[in-house]
Amino acid sequence: MRRQINSLTKSRGLENAILVSIILFLFNLIFPLHESAILSIINEVFVFLTFFFLYSYIHLFLSSKVDSPLTLVLNAGILAALIFFIVSIANVILGSGDNRSIGFFDSLFSVLMVFVFIGAIVYIFSTFRELFFLRQKKDPSTYFNTMLIFFALSFFSNIFLLFDSTLDYPRDAFYVVTIVLICLNSVRVSWIAFLPKKQKYYLLVIAVVLSILFGFDFALIGGNNIIRKMLYAFSPGVHTMIHLVMIYGCIYFAIIFFTTLFHLPTAEAFDRKAAEVSSLMDLTKLITQVFDFKELGETITTLTTRVCNSDSAWLITKKDNNIELSSVHNIGFVDADRITKSIFGSGDTDFESIEIVQYDSINSNTKHIGQSFRSIAVAPLKVHGKINGYLFAARNRENNFDQDEKKSVEAYADYAAVALENAKLIEESIEKERLEKELDVARDIQNKILPNKVPVSKQLQVSALFVPAFEVGGDYYDFFELDNDRLGFVVADVSGKGISAAFIMAEVKGIFESLSKIIYKPRELLIQVNDILKSSLDKKNFVTAIYGIIDRKNGILNISRAGHTPVILCRGDKIEHMQPPGIGLGLDYTSGFSSSLKELEIKLKNNDIVICYSDGIPEAKNHLEEDFGYTKLDDIIMANREKELDLISNAIMKELSLFSKNHSQHDDITLVIFKWKQNT
Amino acid sequence: MAEFNVNLRGVGPVSVIDVKGYLDAHTAPELENVFNKLLDQRQYKVVVNFDELKYISSAGLGVFMAYVETMRENQGDIKFSNMKENVYNIFDLLGFPILYEFFKEETEALQKFSS
Repeated sequence: MRRQINSLTKSRGLENAILVSIILFLFNLIFPLHESAILSIINEVFVFLTFFFLYSYIHLFLSSKVDSPLTLVLNAGILAALIFFIVSIANVILGSGDNRSIGFFDSLFSVLMVFVFIGAIVYIFSTFRELFFLRQKKDPSTYFNTMLIFFALSFFSNIFLLFDSTLDYPRDAFYVVTIVLICLNSVRVSWIAFLPKKQKYYLLVIAVVLSILFGFDFALIGGNNIIRKMLYAFSPGVHTMIHLVMIYGCIYFAIIFFTTLFHLPTAEAFDRKAAEVSSLMDLTKLITQVFDFKELGETITTLTTRVCNSDSAWLITKKDNNIELSSVHNIGFVDADRITKSIFGSGDTDFESIEIVQYDSINSNTKHIGQSFRSIAVAPLKVHGKINGYLFAARNRENNFDQDEKKSVEAYADYAAVALENAKLIEESIEKERLEKELDVARDIQNKILPNKVPVSKQLQVSALFVPAFEVGGDYYDFFELDNDRLGFVVADVSGKGISAAFIMAEVKGIFESLSKIIYKPRELLIQVNDILKSSLDKKNFVTAIYGIIDRKNGILNISRAGHTPVILCRGDKIEHMQPPGIGLGLDYTSGFSSSLKELEIKLKNNDIVICYSDGIPEAKNHLEEDFGYTKLDDIIMANREKELDLISNAIMKELSLFSKNHSQHDDITLVIFKWKQNT
Repeated sequence: MAEFNVNLRGVGPVSVIDVKGYLDAHTAPELENVFNKLLDQRQYKVVVNFDELKYISSAGLGVFMAYVETMRENQGDIKFSNMKENVYNIFDLLGFPILYEFFKEETEALQKFSS
């Protein structure tokens, strides 16, 4: 039921209001004078309904404007002034209205006038209602509704007078109660506290003017004049309502005036708190929007000055005890750096919580150089208990940072620390993504460089296996058909990882590919490679390599080793590690390289297995950081020596992955196996 | 994460670098910093004590290669001492013993400098 009424009054507020107004309007045109009590009562009911519907409609309309209470106050003031002018002008033009005729136009005019009044009154009253509910924590609607009821009672109490003109005490009683309720409700003006300082001054002036204006209106409406008579003749209730609202306005604005007056001393503090809150909110927004570390730093310093009313602010970041100035506001980089250094001295000082430093105490000898301050607040930027930097707020004024300002700088620094940490993490993840892309490129290069098939022949079985590491290593192997009989091969490992290693590898491939066609002696070839690499290899990079040539006609293998892992020869049930002397390519560009490099010649026997590999195999680690080593490798080869070459490499890889199952593969793994078959 | 520690101490005119833990591509910059500091101080006689080093990767080896030339040009050198067998094997495989001097004890390396 109640909901139905609510929906009827609210959703169709305007229609209802217009409808009732028209009925009331027509009713009054037909019966300009309410001679009988029945007509009067009907009229009063219509008037009341008009009030009611207009009120519920304007209420909806006003609730969208509550964000600017001053506008509401001003609107109410303008209407009060309007009423004042209408009444005054009517008094001047029409006199006291004793000789009033009751012609059609006369009654039309008076009805229209009454409507203007009703509209104005309802609007003013609704404004009071909005102001009443503004910024209230608990729901105060009970108080207000009680007052509304007494307004209604006062309205209808006039009816008693129709029957007996001495029956005015109920009306007076309701009147008094209503005024008391008005007084009680008028003190709910907490919204004043939330106004900025400027608006408070503004409101102070408006309130005093409006209080007086409403007072005048009250006096005019109550006085003996044409308007009063007109209203009274139209409906005593309307008159009562106008009267009450004028009292309400007078009291309310008087209270607003005094409240504002008392709020003035704290206005500045309140403004500052509001600025702090809005700065914090700005920063919170920034955390989610700004990912650029530098930009964020600048915004933080700018906002810092606003938060604590300081003249300058700057921000330093701390990494491994190295202090770096990140951004400054209202201060030069040089000055900020100088002050920071004099506060932190050698860099060992740590502030766990906010500290206020007196400028004079740190700068006794370097006075009058650059900017100077009186006090400086230093707040640590802490994330997870770790200090990532400091925020400085410096002030040039006489007064020190008070407790409140200290707290707000500290709170602000906490926010800033999180924001900066976020920005840093995002920067890192972007960097990580970039590195991953780089890795993809490196892997791509590696894949294109390695041969996609192994040379096949009757006498020589060949198997090659390559397992790339996550971080691309620099492994490289290749085969070169030198002529019908001779097959050249290389297994190499470029030091370093990633894209730089991949590029060196590509270069090494080019060198080997071209030299293999010219030089048929492994030792000479490696010496040449070393010479060429001199111009392109970085000081700290080197390449280990094995170059060998197998003659498929007679099974003679020539190899030279430049710092690479030993070649394993499995002959019958014996395993031999062949490690001819030789230092890594790029380690030495003098004659030392060639003089130390030796070449080994082996006459292969039937079923001899020759294994070349990269250090990714013996240096593979398990979870205890132990090496896979050579012994295990030998054992596996021994146990599988009768099998197909691919099965041997599978067996090695299987053992290797079992060994390092809890450890990521650190380096590329290359495994090239040859088997000599003489008799086939 | 594998750990690495580097410590620098001076023994007379010679600087001794103690390396500890795992020296690989991630930790090599720490060692580079120490060498850079030595160059700043014009200290060219260096002994690296490998007593507590567990592992060295090619990037770790690269550090010595990068600085040895400068040290030698200034009448200094980088000498190695107290190397564990597994670490020595890595150096050996690459042919470092041909290019660098290795000593069992740090004192021997220091003596070599003073002689």
